[in-house]
Amino acid sequence: MKIMDIINDNTVFIGLDVNSQEECLKVMAEGMKKAGFVSDITTYLAAVKEREAKGSTGIGFEVAIPHGKSDGMVAPGLAFARLKTPIDWNSLDGSPVHLVFLIGVPQAAAGDEHIKILIALSRKLIHSEFREALLAVKSPTDLYQILQDI
Amino acid sequence: MKKILAVTACPTGIAHTYMAAEALAQAAAQKNVEIKIETRGAVGVENPLTPEDIAGAHAIIIAAETDVEEARFVGQAIFKVAIAEAIKDPGKVIDAAVNLEPAKTNDINQAAKNKEERKSQITGPYKHLMTGVSYMLPLVIAGGLIIAVSFVFGIEAFKEQGTLAEALMTIGSGSAFALMVPILAGFIAFSIAEKPGLAPGMIGGMLAAKIGAGFLGGIIAGFLAGYVVQFMKENIKLPKNFAGLVPILIIPFIGSAIVGLLMIYVIGTPVKAIMDGLSAWLANLGVANAALLGLVLGAMMAFDMGGPVNKAAYTFAIGLLGTGFYGPIAAVMAAGMTPPLGLWLATLLAPKKFLSEEREAGKAAGVLGLSFITEGAIPFAAADPFRVIPSIMVGSAVTGALSMVLGATLRAPHGGIFVLLIPNAVGNLGMYVLSLLVGTVVTAVILSIVKKNKATV
Repeated sequence: MKIMDIINDNTVFIGLDVNSQEECLKVMAEGMKKAGFVSDITTYLAAVKEREAKGSTGIGFEVAIPHGKSDGMVAPGLAFARLKTPIDWNSLDGSPVHLVFLIGVPQAAAGDEHIKILIALSRKLIHSEFREALLAVKSPTDLYQILQDI
Repeated sequence: MKKILAVTACPTGIAHTYMAAEALAQAAAQKNVEIKIETRGAVGVENPLTPEDIAGAHAIIIAAETDVEEARFVGQAIFKVAIAEAIKDPGKVIDAAVNLEPAKTNDINQAAKNKEERKSQITGPYKHLMTGVSYMLPLVIAGGLIIAVSFVFGIEAFKEQGTLAEALMTIGSGSAFALMVPILAGFIAFSIAEKPGLAPGMIGGMLAAKIGAGFLGGIIAGFLAGYVVQFMKENIKLPKNFAGLVPILIIPFIGSAIVGLLMIYVIGTPVKAIMDGLSAWLANLGVANAALLGLVLGAMMAFDMGGPVNKAAYTFAIGLLGTGFYGPIAAVMAAGMTPPLGLWLATLLAPKKFLSEEREAGKAAGVLGLSFITEGAIPFAAADPFRVIPSIMVGSAVTGALSMVLGATLRAPHGGIFVLLIPNAVGNLGMYVLSLLVGTVVTAVILSIVKKNKATV
């Protein structure tokens, strides 16, 4: 299973300069469309926002993992952004968000190998060494290197 | 140490379920708290909590926004928390669960729990063996005692069509004993590979009985079936739409065929060769050296109790009985009585070396021994073959040799204690009883020395 199946240069944003959660999600979702993961941005973003409304995905320690299961997705995909300036995400611990992983999976996908990667990523984010490594990435290649090992 | 359980679940089942699980695991590790976490996410239920886990838990953390089948936790101390909270402050959640008053459990629960704990300490092949034996045990007792009752009507009474004695023999020998080896093999396989292992295991066990491989063959069949099925479960990967076929079609069909063919061609052939070889060897040995013959016959009777070695000895002695040599059959019968008798005596001499279940079974084994139903020793031998089989072989060899040397004779092919009461059936009765007693004591003493203490009495 290759990490490159679910992430690529179109969906990696290092030093992304955005001012709001709304804008951040839009830019990242557009990247996922360019990468071919998303077919219908509006439907997908609606699912992500609906999830966000149920409770913030800002899980604390400056990380957010917005995600949505939607028919607007063609294949499971992942976008990563390290923000130039942290933005507010209604995080659990109140801290602004510095790292964003946007996750999308098609409505029908379950038990898929790609989903297992996303699950492994979620688990990894709990560990501070992993987050520190993410904060230090300089290029998409650095990121892939880190993600390769999960 | 307090064991904490947790269940995490969220609607999408991609992120929070697993982050919460990871956060709790990490916090528990830091606090040196034992934890098991069930995750219910997009890939289904993973690391499920078993009834044993739940029964043995100090408290259960539920960090979930969807259904987690809470009904199974009734009666347990539960700490519910928002899943976000478990991610944000897992340490606090763990502390809260550890500090929770455990739910009140009554003594029966406690006892059941302790028993579970004890069982869970037994692992690996030994655990599988024990599982098979514990399911087989009632069949041995049922069959053995019912056969013994049939003997009350006379040793050969069951040969009369339509009599109660015949009915009892059909129940005891034709049914209960016939199920013994299949059940032993089936539940060994069940213990290894769970439900899919049962059918191939029982089929293998049935074949072990058919090819005359006895309970040792049954043990082989059980382990064979268990590991074959386990291998198939782990290695057969079908597309999702067909995955359901593995347990209901592929394993029963292919698994049973593999086990069955191995039993017939790989196990069956040497078993027959052993039997033929031993029969020829016994015929060669002849009756010249009485002590040696008694020794050999005795040890053979106790080796596999119904398997090829035992059958070779018994058939040889029956053959001699037909030609007017009454000594060997006497030795064979006595040697077939001492294993269960010796085990019964051992459960009295060294109760700490037997499980409570075995101590109860020991009483029945005593009755079976008196009736020359050697199978009474099988549950003990199957549960601990490397200690029990050599011990009972020594005891039986001593009895066999003494019986031959002291000149005991027998004019009936079976019957145990019941023939001793028939006038003139046994020659040199006093010496015969003495050989039996000595062998029984020898068996019991050796068992008391070599068997290991059981952890709990």
